[in-house]
Amino acid sequence: MKMEKKLVIPGDFLSDDVKLADEGTYVEDGKVFSSVFGIVSINKLIRVVSLSGKYIPKRDDIVIGIVTEVSFSNWIVDIRSPYDGLLHISEFPRRIDNVDMSKYLKVGDSIMTLVSDVDETMKVELTLNDQRLRQITDGRVIEVTPSKVPRLIGKNGSMIGMLKNETACNIYIAQNGRVWLTGKDKNIDLAIRTIQKIENESHISGLTERIVKFLKQEKGIPAKKQVKKKEEDNSGGILDELLDK
Amino acid sequence: MSELKKDLIYNLMIKGEREDGRRFDEYRDIKIETNVIEKAEGSARVQLGDTHLVVGVKIQTGTPFPDTPDKGVIMTNLELLPLASPMFESGPPREDAVELARVVDRGIRESESIDLSKLCITPGEKVWMVFIDVHVLDDGGNIMDAASLGAIAALMTAKLPASRFDLGDDTPVPMRDVPVAVTAVEIGGTIMLDPSMNEQRIAGTKLTVISNQDGGISGMQKSGVNPLTTEQINYIVDAAIEKAKEIREKFLEI
Amino acid sequence: MAKPEKLIENGIRLDGRRPDELRPIKIKVGVLNRADGSCYFEFGLNKVIAAVYGPREVHPRHMQKSNSAVVRYKYNMASFSVEDRKRPGPDRRSIEVSKVSREALEPVIFQEYFPRSAIDIFVEVLQADAGTRTAGINAASLALADAGIPMKSLVSACAVGKVDDTLVLDLNKDEDNYGQADMPVAMTPDGKITLLQMDGHLSGDEFKEGLEMAKKGCLEIAQLQRAALLEKYATRMDGESNE
Repeated sequence: MKMEKKLVIPGDFLSDDVKLADEGTYVEDGKVFSSVFGIVSINKLIRVVSLSGKYIPKRDDIVIGIVTEVSFSNWIVDIRSPYDGLLHISEFPRRIDNVDMSKYLKVGDSIMTLVSDVDETMKVELTLNDQRLRQITDGRVIEVTPSKVPRLIGKNGSMIGMLKNETACNIYIAQNGRVWLTGKDKNIDLAIRTIQKIENESHISGLTERIVKFLKQEKGIPAKKQVKKKEEDNSGGILDELLDK
Repeated sequence: MSELKKDLIYNLMIKGEREDGRRFDEYRDIKIETNVIEKAEGSARVQLGDTHLVVGVKIQTGTPFPDTPDKGVIMTNLELLPLASPMFESGPPREDAVELARVVDRGIRESESIDLSKLCITPGEKVWMVFIDVHVLDDGGNIMDAASLGAIAALMTAKLPASRFDLGDDTPVPMRDVPVAVTAVEIGGTIMLDPSMNEQRIAGTKLTVISNQDGGISGMQKSGVNPLTTEQINYIVDAAIEKAKEIREKFLEI
Repeated sequence: MAKPEKLIENGIRLDGRRPDELRPIKIKVGVLNRADGSCYFEFGLNKVIAAVYGPREVHPRHMQKSNSAVVRYKYNMASFSVEDRKRPGPDRRSIEVSKVSREALEPVIFQEYFPRSAIDIFVEVLQADAGTRTAGINAASLALADAGIPMKSLVSACAVGKVDDTLVLDLNKDEDNYGQADMPVAMTPDGKITLLQMDGHLSGDEFKEGLEMAKKGCLEIAQLQRAALLEKYATRMDGESNE
């Protein structure tokens, strides 16, 4: 389906049909307007994808968090949102005593975690009780604009799939815009450069082709070496598969 | 800050690298633009990597201090505006801001870069008062060196507004030296110049060395809890004098 | 400068403008790295920079609202922004300006989307030359949009005043000092007034005429604001047309 791409600013008129109003829009006097500075995407409904903005947690999102405080029976976790996440001791995969909490997760540790609940006052509860979730102890975590996560993943995971193949890295993109990469240092560097390019150019059509071209260029001369590396690394992490499907 | 990020910086360091690809003794890009505030007697906008600040110099007449009746007055103030970092808050200056302002001030004062006796109008009665105000707009690390660069660049273009006070023609501020501050951090035994935000946050200690045209030192400040060895300090002093010379030649021609 | 004999001569103001003409405006969106959104705005000799942080956690906690975000606005003048050095820090004037500026922007912000959070707006006046509060609101409105804060629309602001018995748009410093009235106005593109202050002397008719003049000025500014916002991505959009 052809996606129409147009930049709009808050208050721009979008449609007379209020039934089409979706994310990034508001309705006033029977008309639909944009509520953010972003790109219009018309795909049955009219949505405006913001070009910036904070991550607002939703139930069932997988996010990457950093422990900022260990309090009595809760870890307080920065999930890159106006709202901290709370990870209760009972949501740790194993039974542990609250005097030992810092032994398992301490301030500064990164975790792949799931938003198990968000109430109307934006109290955010997290869990590690799921096979896909764990502490992150290796690789690198970078940050992208949360609203660009869908572009980075691509349709049915096409963009991320291509990126993983081409860079021979395991890459996981969490909903809060934190991206976890593991692999060889050089490959991670290339993957990060590519992700930054995707982020900067996500609003321009023909993105995928441009990224393929970019990767070819970047790999340029040492391409042979990289191909070899790719084979080595592409044996596939179990984690990778778990996370993707 | 996450442990992963700290590990990354340590691991790079072991390989002799930094997060942004610089050498240990390499500065980020420096951009200085002067006369950016027409209403100030002197001004400069400095970008040191992604640290960004504006320095304004206001000059007016006032009464000298009783113990220096024939000398002008310099006052330096630095604001860590809440606009510059999620970590800065409104309110009275925090100790960091006071420390930064005092070190900038010391560099200018102790190097005698301004000839204070030439700022005297009527001994014991009227002198020029030079206010140096540093407004930090974006904190990307190493505010110290950026502020010090901005202060000296602004002073070098500043005029004594004599005509406004019916004291004759405007003249340049009487400058005779160009102090340059160079800051280093120590991370796991390695010394790095011009720390980025992340490096500064990880580092236990910073050392700022302010040196003059003749290679002499006019101000130093160790900031942070970790001790430094004599070897480390000597290394930083030598590197700072060398680097200051480079920066002075490139950006601060008198 | 002493009061000039005339502030308007043959229908032209001392700085060469017609009565209904704005000073030159320069806008750049996204100028700071740390802030979530930012904007640099030049309005004649006024130079202001606005930064937005948020939505983010509220400190102190008792300032939280359980069902919406709190909007905070801090207007601050650099000590070197004016002829005679200003003492750093807030004074009564900047507290008032902060309050009315916040209220000028609050009606367009969807605060209810972000309970218990704060949206912090900081406006730093680097150089002042009459009209800093309107420059600040124009900049802040763009910084909010740049931060991705959901809003009904942008807000635009400018002042109208009276000098030599003539209504003029966007007073400069001398007109402000020696004029007969000053009236800053902020509004949304669909004409809702969100800030209105006045001091001096205006007749009822002059007020109405002045308000219309301010509205026209605001609409002009709104066009420039839109262009500046789109400009942030323009170079990259150009890339598209080449393909």
